[in-house]
Amino acid sequence: MSKEARPSWDSPMQFVLACVSYAVGLGNVWRFPYLCQMHGGGGFLIPYLLMLVLEGIPLFCMELAIGQKMRLGSIGAWTAINPYLGGLGIASVVTSMYLCLYYNVINAWSFWYLFHSFQSVLPWAECPVNSNRTGYLEECEVASPTQYFFFRETLNISSSIDENGGIHMGQALCLLLAWIIVYLFIVRGVKSTGMVVYFTATFPYVVLIIYLIRGVTLHGAWNGVKYLFTPKLEQLANPQTWINAATQIFFSLGLGFGSLIAFASYNHHNNNFERQAVVVSLINSSTSVFASIVTFAIYGFKATFNYESCLERMRLLLLNTFDLSEDTISVENISSWISHLNFTHPERFAAIASKIEDCSLEAELDTAVEGTGLAFIVYSEAIKNMPLSQLWSVLYFVMLLLLGMGSMLGNVTAIITPLGDLKFLSRTLSNETINGLVCLLCFLLGFGFTSRSGNYWFTIFNEYAATFSLLFIVLIEVISVCYIYGLRRFEKDIEDMLGHRPNWYWKLMWAVISPVLLISLFIFYIINYIQGGTPTYQAWDKDLGKSVVKEYPVYGQVFIVLLLVSSVSCVPLSALYAFCRRKQRGTPVPPQTLNMSSDI
Amino acid sequence: MRAAVLLLILLPPMVAQDLCKDSKDGFKVRLSIKTALGDKAYEWNKSEMFLFRSTLAFAMRRANQSNQDTNYDTANILVCNDTQRVSFVFVVTSPDDPTQLIPREQVEQAVKLSKHRINNVFLLSDMTLEFVGIPPTLAAPIVYDTPPWLIVFGVVIGAVAVGIMALLMSTVSKTRRAKDKAAGFAGEDAGIVKENGTTLSSLGGVYNQAFSNDDRFTQL
Repeated sequence: MSKEARPSWDSPMQFVLACVSYAVGLGNVWRFPYLCQMHGGGGFLIPYLLMLVLEGIPLFCMELAIGQKMRLGSIGAWTAINPYLGGLGIASVVTSMYLCLYYNVINAWSFWYLFHSFQSVLPWAECPVNSNRTGYLEECEVASPTQYFFFRETLNISSSIDENGGIHMGQALCLLLAWIIVYLFIVRGVKSTGMVVYFTATFPYVVLIIYLIRGVTLHGAWNGVKYLFTPKLEQLANPQTWINAATQIFFSLGLGFGSLIAFASYNHHNNNFERQAVVVSLINSSTSVFASIVTFAIYGFKATFNYESCLERMRLLLLNTFDLSEDTISVENISSWISHLNFTHPERFAAIASKIEDCSLEAELDTAVEGTGLAFIVYSEAIKNMPLSQLWSVLYFVMLLLLGMGSMLGNVTAIITPLGDLKFLSRTLSNETINGLVCLLCFLLGFGFTSRSGNYWFTIFNEYAATFSLLFIVLIEVISVCYIYGLRRFEKDIEDMLGHRPNWYWKLMWAVISPVLLISLFIFYIINYIQGGTPTYQAWDKDLGKSVVKEYPVYGQVFIVLLLVSSVSCVPLSALYAFCRRKQRGTPVPPQTLNMSSDI
Repeated sequence: MRAAVLLLILLPPMVAQDLCKDSKDGFKVRLSIKTALGDKAYEWNKSEMFLFRSTLAFAMRRANQSNQDTNYDTANILVCNDTQRVSFVFVVTSPDDPTQLIPREQVEQAVKLSKHRINNVFLLSDMTLEFVGIPPTLAAPIVYDTPPWLIVFGVVIGAVAVGIMALLMSTVSKTRRAKDKAAGFAGEDAGIVKENGTTLSSLGGVYNQAFSNDDRFTQL
């Protein structure tokens, strides 16, 4: 038991803002709009909101309850629930570690783009000129300037995961800056974090509102928003829709990393976490919907711009080939002219037939993109066509940074809180030093992502490090709270904290519905992984100017398995360890043994 | 006799047409006036064509300034294949011998040298005044001594470093102050100072075990 009072949030508002800042992250901006588009636009909201009620809010509330009751980070809290379950906390810390390693690389890229926005011409607006100034660089010609800037100048990407190159100095510098800023935010623990979240939780909304106003006033934005909200209800029959809704809610709320337990451990004993859980989950989901309106307004603008450029190109092609006066063909009557000219001059038309493109607004809107491709390529392409593009670019990347940094706060807090609870560490080193060492370690390990093949390793981490393990962790969490710790005991704890027992909704979700949902998601993941065959990745081919699909080499697949096994195996290994120690002692466990097992 | 005179008068333009039409030393020119100027577009007529020919003659003179003898004139620029698009083909004849054409490469050099001036005469740009076969020379990339991104990076990282130093300094000074205060309460244990800088013991109290939260540990 500690002699000093545990630090706490200055007010419940700080705690709520910290949770909002953590939960509202990049996934709300770049994953949800994609899912919405893939699964029937407005109709996707039905499975999404249903899953929010069935699994999102109950699991979120459960994690907050555990943290607030135990007042320890994830390792200590789970050890307190059951000495065999300390491994669950360790698995959370390991998964958080993996997440921290690769997530800050995204912040580094945001910094890179932000700093490059301070130029008279945005560097991704035009292709660089070749050495004798007769044309543009070839790689940029076959791809587009935004893709060239991302793959060549930002990442300097190699053509496969096997080819390592040197480290990109600019990226390394930006990563250093990102980690220093994270350290600045968490150096004093919850005292400094509490100050920062006022800004990181609220400013992204300011930018989103500004972008919404700018977005809907752009030419063609309405096409995108209409496309988003036209429900295609037949998608609801597709099981993939429901699975994606469930996983999106799950990952968007950030369950299982231990961040929520860590944040809640700094609460006062009687804080009303139940209401806060509902509020934060609803804020998270409505931000997703809001962000997708903005994204689709921008999509609509970009699609309309590309469509109109395509029409203009076709018009020029026809004018130049048939030497007609400029005002004969306009963008409205292009198609009738095409058929007319095909009829009257078939031979000349056949000569240019290969260059005739089929301009379609639908096709442009249908190109759904998610992830870093959306954030750094598609969005920057839309921004470069806006008037005053430097301003919009700065605003946009500042928003991305705040979203990313806010989530990083939660991720790093999930690591430093359990570490700070460990007696042997906190006796020898001050909290500032522990936090500094964690940041330094993550920075050094993150160097690998700044090499030329770094983006491919980033994709491995992004897809495998935190997906399967989290499902496993949260499944074990909910089963242990309900059945090992006991739902009755948990109810009593909550009554002790809140003054009333949880009602039937919470109990039903915790005991029955959420575990069933999680088990089915878990099984689905395993089936998908086995059925998927060799895992593949997208490699950038610089001669073709697009991504090609390649299979992971053997060491890549081994690494994926290692990632999964290393976090999941903490649970059984730790239980085994606790079992062996008990056997050694040979006595039933008095409180001091519990102290030692939290010294792991 | 009269026929011979007629032939002599009509021969040069006929020869000129043949020179222009069949030549491989000619270039096709394309103007997109309405695209460039919209409402302020001027109409393409014979006067504009005359202006073009004189501009090209100027370009040829400029390219051959070292050789003072060459006197290109508008008569040396022959034009044919005029279309509604406003596109046509031109060839350049030598001022010394009207039947001889200037080779393609020389004309290309001359146009490349003066393209900017030619554009400005017609209020057009590289995109709207095209010489088919002569790619425009693109603007040279701006070269900075220090890339601007590095400057912004330096400013931001400097500010953050100052922030961290300030925070760490204040922590260190608080530790020192608390240690001095704790040393004043003789006989009590000093206690390690954590984030908010005060310890229960430094306030002169004793931790009451009865109110500790013992029952958070489960029974096995």
